[in-house]
Amino acid sequence: MLPMLSQLLKQMMKKPFTNLFPAKYAPKNVRGYLKNVQEGKTKIIPPVGIPDEETFRGKIVYDREKCIGCKMCIRVCPAKAIEFKEEEKKIRIYIGRCIFCSQCNDVCPVDALHMSNEFLLADANKASENLIVE
Amino acid sequence: MNSGSCNGCDIEIIAALTPRYDAERFGIKLVGSPRHADVIAFTGPVTDDMADKVKRIYEQTPDPKVILVVGACGISGGVFHESYHLSGPIEKILPEAKCIYVPGCPPRPEAIIYGVVKAWEFLEGVEKK
Repeated sequence: MLPMLSQLLKQMMKKPFTNLFPAKYAPKNVRGYLKNVQEGKTKIIPPVGIPDEETFRGKIVYDREKCIGCKMCIRVCPAKAIEFKEEEKKIRIYIGRCIFCSQCNDVCPVDALHMSNEFLLADANKASENLIVE
Repeated sequence: MNSGSCNGCDIEIIAALTPRYDAERFGIKLVGSPRHADVIAFTGPVTDDMADKVKRIYEQTPDPKVILVVGACGISGGVFHESYHLSGPIEKILPEAKCIYVPGCPPRPEAIIYGVVKAWEFLEGVEKK
């Protein structure tokens, strides 16, 4: 009985394990809620922290200035998510097809590609600016 | 609905429903039949065999409906993009459907919940009209 009591008290003090992303309860009006968030009136409860910021593979960041147009990333990409722009000798990455394997990032000789920590990427349009990196 | 995916995305969808993320506190519920659903979650790059089933399930769902395309495969084919056994990504089979795309291979559970929020936003707009 006694060991159980201590366990019980501990449990009562503990917070629930649930991560309350993006809000504790469903708002009555999701559009209004999102508008409030954009205006800074309310805050979104952040998602679970990513395990390791150094090695996490999120949305690709492309450094245009550094890129020398060697096409190594295009050759190594298993999903063929990267397109070469002939005139400018630069690349375009389609995040909708990217499988976040980070191979392009590893092979790049001039470090023009990086994996960011951004992973909330849902979008209604797969050709939107959000999902194409140039 | 799984249309030939590797099960990675399915596991992440299940993770979004577990107590850790608990999508059910918003009233997001799994239903047993597409006839009771508002949102259909599709994973996988629609194989030839699954193409007509995808169409059938889409037609069984009552309007207004949104498709939640989870994972790179459903969006554009992903690693399977030039396979000989694909009827193409979901967009090709259901060109008139309203889709919310959740990129990732697989996406994190939060990313899926974020996609659901977007779908919700769209359905609310339809309701107002």
